Amino acid sequence: MSDTHKAAPMVDEVSDFEILEMAVRELAIEKGLFSAEDHRRWIEYVHTLGPLPAARLAAKAWLDPDFKKLAVADGVKASLAVGIDWINGPPTKFGTPSDYCSFRVLEDTPKVKHVVVCTLCSCYPRTILGQSPEWYRTPNYRRRLVRWPRQVLAEFGLQLAADVEIRVVDSNQKTRYMVLPLRPIGTEGWSEQQLTEIVTRDCLIGVAMPQPGVTSNAKRPVHPAVHPIHTGH
Amino acid sequence: MSKNQHDRAHHAKKASGVGDPQCFRGEAGQAKFKNGDMVRIRDLPDIFYTRCQVYTRGAVGRITKVVYESPAAEDEAWDNTDHPEWFYSVVFRQHELWPDYPASYKNDTLETEFSERWLEQA
Amino acid sequence: MPSPSRSALMRHFDLVGQLQPAYHQPQHAPYPDAIDHAKYRALLRSSHDVGGEPDVPIEWEEKEEEQWEANTFATCECLAWRGVWSAEERRRRQNVDVGETQYLALPYYGRWLLSAARIIVDKQYVTLTELVNKIDEVKGRYEQKSAR
Repeated sequence: MSDTHKAAPMVDEVSDFEILEMAVRELAIEKGLFSAEDHRRWIEYVHTLGPLPAARLAAKAWLDPDFKKLAVADGVKASLAVGIDWINGPPTKFGTPSDYCSFRVLEDTPKVKHVVVCTLCSCYPRTILGQSPEWYRTPNYRRRLVRWPRQVLAEFGLQLAADVEIRVVDSNQKTRYMVLPLRPIGTEGWSEQQLTEIVTRDCLIGVAMPQPGVTSNAKRPVHPAVHPIHTGH
Repeated sequence: MSKNQHDRAHHAKKASGVGDPQCFRGEAGQAKFKNGDMVRIRDLPDIFYTRCQVYTRGAVGRITKVVYESPAAEDEAWDNTDHPEWFYSVVFRQHELWPDYPASYKNDTLETEFSERWLEQA
Repeated sequence: MPSPSRSALMRHFDLVGQLQPAYHQPQHAPYPDAIDHAKYRALLRSSHDVGGEPDVPIEWEEKEEEQWEANTFATCECLAWRGVWSAEERRRRQNVDVGETQYLALPYYGRWLLSAARIIVDKQYVTLTELVNKIDEVKGRYEQKSAR
């Protein structure tokens, strides 16, 4: 529950977390565990990540049945078509340490709707989708989605017929998932760009379905940062 | 007592240009199970760390994909990577997992991955 | 008496939700024969394994990222990139070793950060003395600034 009625702290106030963060980073660099350049490179790499490549992958799959087959059979190979190399893209050249290189595209059909969670932590396909949303990381989402998926999806505005198979996918090991949602009616003749625009991050997690004219996630409260990220890199 | 020597270069050497879990290919030997097999999740002792969710223990599901070879999370979490296992994706019916799952949603399922040690033939 | 504002009422509901009866164990460090199989399992449980636990509907929120959180993420990934730990070691430490109370009461990235601090001490790259002195030194820089 966001506490928006607290007085804004003074600009100079530094939190215990900020102090510890600096201490750890400085010590790690002093001891040669990683370099300042490594850290800068990683920050910059994360800035390049976002949901657009995954949205394009969905649009391409809608337009090309052979590409859809590839996407479902080999998500890592299919990602190359949208400029994402799970192995060599990240600075490590062996995938990101946390997101690995086992990527599966879950194909929704009129009979099957997928939705993704990581009950154990918050594993997420950052390499093709960017950083996870706050709600995805909450113990609440992780507790409830696996057991009460229809209730949780209803809270996200999604209600499906009783005979549809809702498949909750719990990404508990090295595989990372995106949902390939159903292409909505009313998009006949659309270009790849037009289709990409209606595949939002929420659609790729599985808590929303693409709709013509809807090009952003549903509006939710945004808990502000005290010292947000500097964007002037 | 002496200080441990840690080989920080090991994983990068092994996985560079290859990826993880790709770098463990061929190390797990013969897969015990295959696509379509019905398996039951073992309730092994749950001490210190596990990535086999308690909500799956004792449940029966169907293997839907043989996914990759990798050290089990319970070993990788202590950097013991010498004995990779096969990993499987298993699908369960929700009414098999939760006794109170509404009967009207009879087709709902859940899919999650297990390393081989957690599975026995059902 | 003026009627309460609607937002004050909503805060009231949050607060009363936090009032819970607490039946404390009368004895800390109980005798072993007081711990049956069910209690043993509960006490040894991996704190991250929350799937299927009951919880209440909440308003789903987004969050603006703090600079320190982005820095923490990069520190943790760089430590793994350069072989200090693997992501799985990090998860074990960050999501289970911290224990149930820290797991539920610390911010998400607070646990990432504490685990990064802990790994460099545990693997003897840094002594706890060095860490403590560094934290003290960093604190001192900010105390100097605000003493202007």
